Amino acid sequence: MSDDEEIKDEKFGKEEETTSVSIEEELLLPRDTLLSAGIHIGTRMKTRDTELFIYRVRPDGLFVLDVKKTDERIRVAAKFLARFEPSKIAAAAARLYAQEPVRKFCEVTGAIPVAGRFIPGLLSNPLYPNRIEPDVLIVSDPRADSQAVREASSVGIPVVALCSTDNEFSGVDLVIPTNNKGRRALAVIYWLLARQILREKGELAPDKDLPLTIEDFEAKISREEEGG
Amino acid sequence: MAERTATLTLVTCTSCGKPIPPGTEATKFLCPNCGEILIRRCAKCRKFGRLYKCPKCGFAGP
Repeated sequence: MSDDEEIKDEKFGKEEETTSVSIEEELLLPRDTLLSAGIHIGTRMKTRDTELFIYRVRPDGLFVLDVKKTDERIRVAAKFLARFEPSKIAAAAARLYAQEPVRKFCEVTGAIPVAGRFIPGLLSNPLYPNRIEPDVLIVSDPRADSQAVREASSVGIPVVALCSTDNEFSGVDLVIPTNNKGRRALAVIYWLLARQILREKGELAPDKDLPLTIEDFEAKISREEEGG
Repeated sequence: MAERTATLTLVTCTSCGKPIPPGTEATKFLCPNCGEILIRRCAKCRKFGRLYKCPKCGFAGP
């Protein structure tokens, strides 16, 4: 190899390095962490609404979400939620794996958790004594939390939803495209959302992390429960 | 007897541009991205998940 070629190689190597670093800086977490948590994994079903957020189809028929778009939407959702008073944000989770992340998210941000069954009338029945009156609602799955979405629509509050490739955007005002079924994926998404909200509010420095780890956000299911 | 007339200005939906009748399941919120423009969505556009676009920053949702 001549000297010129060596110089060229070195130059290209540096360029590649800088581009990979700049891509990683753009994302809220390193790409590998996001991919290992499986936040990009969709389902084998696709709706017309989610076409915008789909990156590719795997040979086994699984639709894969675009991580960059997920990252972008987390930032936008955090900006949006940071404008509300924490006590006026409600987060609903009917799915078992979403309940612990939602509880931790509410603990960190001060929002109202609605984990487990969503009692009909919780938002819309003025005669219900434990009624809550949030200004915005976050749902972990618009299909599993359909009652919450319906009631939010009837009282006229905006809905932020974590949507996978099989969800429809009916009644949803802001979508975060992500895997909303995986245990680790849900923990990562809620952790990122909580961290970004605090950063937007100025309660957390841009280079600081939450005192709780992603593992703390993850649902802990005992083997007996898991077995059914 | 003089006739009394009142004019009612209805706000319009950001997605479809149609006036939103009062008392419907519509919603309003500041643009999630820039937070400067008030986005209004009528019940139908919410139900069908129709796109809305912020006239200022160009953010498209839902």
